[in-house]
Amino acid sequence: MTALSSLTAPQQPYSYGYLDAHAKRELRRRMLKAIAVPGYQVPYASRELPIARGWGTGGLQVTLALVGPESIVKVIDQGADDSVNAANLRRFIARMSGAATTTDAVAATLLQSRHRIPEERMREGQVLILQVPDPEPLRAVQPDMSKSAQMHADADYGQMWLSLYEQLVRFKQYIQGASYPSLVNGRHIISPSPIPRWDTPKLHLASHLTILSAGREKRIYAVPPYTTVAPLEFSDVPFQVEDQSGRACRTTGVRNRFMNEIPQTDGTSQFELSDSGYAEKLANGIMPASTYYDENGEFYHAGILKPAVRPD
Amino acid sequence: MYIAAKGGEEAIQQSEHLYHLLNGELTIDTVRMIEKSMPYLVDRVMGEGSLYSPELAALAIAQTGGDLYEAVLLLRAYRATQPRLAYAQPIEPGEVLTVRRISAAFKDIPGGQVLGPSLDYSHRLLKLDVLDGTREPQEAFQPAEQPAPPAYPPVAGWLREQGLLAEAKADATQAADIPDVTTENVLFPAPRPHRLQAMARADTGGVLSLGYSIMRGYGLIHPTVNELRLGHAEVTLTHPVTGEKFSAGRVRVSQCEVVSPGGDEKGYAIGFAATLGWNEVKLIAASTLDLDMASQDGDGAKHPAHEEEFVMYHTEPVESSGFCIHFKLPHYVTFASGLDNIRKVIQATYG
Amino acid sequence: MTHPLYTETEARVRESFLVLMHALSFPGRPQNLPAAQADDAFLLMAEALLDLETTCFTADMALDGLLAQTGARRADLASADYAFFPVLTDEHAASLALAKTGTLLLPDTSATLFIGCQFGGSQASRWTGPGIDNEITVRLSGLPDVFWRQREKAVSYPLGWDVFLVDGQQVIGLPRSTRVEPAAG
Repeated sequence: MTALSSLTAPQQPYSYGYLDAHAKRELRRRMLKAIAVPGYQVPYASRELPIARGWGTGGLQVTLALVGPESIVKVIDQGADDSVNAANLRRFIARMSGAATTTDAVAATLLQSRHRIPEERMREGQVLILQVPDPEPLRAVQPDMSKSAQMHADADYGQMWLSLYEQLVRFKQYIQGASYPSLVNGRHIISPSPIPRWDTPKLHLASHLTILSAGREKRIYAVPPYTTVAPLEFSDVPFQVEDQSGRACRTTGVRNRFMNEIPQTDGTSQFELSDSGYAEKLANGIMPASTYYDENGEFYHAGILKPAVRPD
Repeated sequence: MYIAAKGGEEAIQQSEHLYHLLNGELTIDTVRMIEKSMPYLVDRVMGEGSLYSPELAALAIAQTGGDLYEAVLLLRAYRATQPRLAYAQPIEPGEVLTVRRISAAFKDIPGGQVLGPSLDYSHRLLKLDVLDGTREPQEAFQPAEQPAPPAYPPVAGWLREQGLLAEAKADATQAADIPDVTTENVLFPAPRPHRLQAMARADTGGVLSLGYSIMRGYGLIHPTVNELRLGHAEVTLTHPVTGEKFSAGRVRVSQCEVVSPGGDEKGYAIGFAATLGWNEVKLIAASTLDLDMASQDGDGAKHPAHEEEFVMYHTEPVESSGFCIHFKLPHYVTFASGLDNIRKVIQATYG
Repeated sequence: MTHPLYTETEARVRESFLVLMHALSFPGRPQNLPAAQADDAFLLMAEALLDLETTCFTADMALDGLLAQTGARRADLASADYAFFPVLTDEHAASLALAKTGTLLLPDTSATLFIGCQFGGSQASRWTGPGIDNEITVRLSGLPDVFWRQREKAVSYPLGWDVFLVDGQQVIGLPRSTRVEPAAG
């Protein structure tokens, strides 16, 4: 008599990369659509993971669908590799895939990040996976998702421009902070995830592929390499990144990088590099790769960032 | 400080250990005790977790120290890894082994009102004697002289015979083709199966809150409970080799129908909800939502609980609780980005 | 703790997918499938994307039997999510007018086409768009002119179909976002 066990594969508590084959295949199909229509939010099923929703489950699903034993994974939260949530996600990815992990943005093949893009320039072949809490850039002007989807379908972005205009009238500048809405490939407005404005231009004509994934909201979208990403701005009032001038990292002394502000008891502030992997290299005397901003704060694509103009 | 220069991983492990240390040892006895003595809690977690397993639900409750959102997430995450092996036959309400079936619409109904197990008419007094070591008298319950019939016809059947309710259309959709909210993205207007599935696994408190807003008068309808039913249903499967139908066991199920004058419909319109496990409050609220969302807007002011998208997104327990607790994560980069703007505005406005 | 097993199937499916992802991310650049032999290429790509949640079409009898193994449901070209043409005849190319191009609300509900042809040759075209650093010149042969005319009709960005061109073990991505013009000179 045939033993029942001989007819089945050996029991494993989890599939490779935790997700089962169907879930991975679905994610992969959606990713290809996302790449084919840059900036369009592709709906996907978004399975539950053993991590709370809102804690990076969207990014994690993409990472798990891409990762293999030869991958080198870097996980960042607010720029830091060893924040507790980054550590937790990295531990889970490694546990489910056997992939190597790193804090070096140059060595990594897959970079999953919450709210930052590294200071060192990413290159072809690397994939940046951004965790997205709210994929809908139109949420503030239209909270109803079925209606905002129709606005994207019609490229009906009038209300978005109106809200920018109102900001100028009221504050004489754009007051959108992180998640600065940007037009991708001249067609779809995206939320680039809550990265600071400092990081937004890094998506423009980048060498690497960026995949943005919102697990709770079940939307996946992409910015392929060499794709235009234009932060929304009126031609006479240019988009501005956060002002980092006059700030020097208290441990490495470097300037013109995105800094964490550390309030001091005497009422002043000190600053330190937000990108902990980059800081680690500087501290250990390792030569970093070329950065997006040079030591004078000039962005590597000339002419993208313009001097501030205030409307009358 | 929870961004450690080194040792983030060590910190989270110790934090988890401490949580479990304070909740006492996790043992099989605790799990069995929860499963046996807290069936309504287990049902609530199974319903929201959309996984019928009293044992695993009890384990989830024990493992999380009774943090229900965490318990539901544990079940959901486990469920997501399980393959779908087969599709069960639909459950016919008239065939369910019914232990409780009541209707508020009529004094008496064919088959009779069956009160069954309930606290509805209890005096809500704490049994303080128990704290003194007094044992609960067990003999209070008197079984009826005649055993009650196992099954009862649906009240809606009588309404249909009277021409008060539209005929139920037979749905020939094969089980495998029924839209599945657990593996598909929901787009609006949602297919009815998505709506009913989403409410079946919705957060009990969230469904109550939105359902209550309708009941209090924001709604377009005033619900009457036509039938509320608790029972045990057979899970009937088809044997893959012989093709014979067989029962894989029984599950606790509950369902509720509310009715309201049907507007354009002939007679009454009906709202429906069903869950695994016995979840009465959730069902009455959910079937009220179902009925209200289906009713025509008319000139009435729109309210959130009338909007399917609003209801389905905001009663999802895993997503809503997850997003809520994510605000505990550091947000200093986004804060710094906003701070830069505020400083520039202050500079420009006040010099 | 050891990680779950990276099975042979898991590895093959993942590697094929990564090839497709790179092909679509860098249109015009040939990528190598992990195919033992040329006949496997279409099946490898199918295996990476198809299962019972998808529909597929092919006019190729031999491939049709293999595609069924993925669990994908057969469909006519007008409703198929994925369509396979190991050889694209003039007639096939004309029929592409039927393939789904998606809707403005859901442009992802469009067809993906896998088409055999030869890389290299005298017909050169200049491709620009997302994934292409400035521009790239692509040389292809074995694609009927009708194909290009149908593509022009089908693509009204963001509507349109996405194409994987296949020569042996190599694949080139041609997403709807790519603009194709005859190469100058």
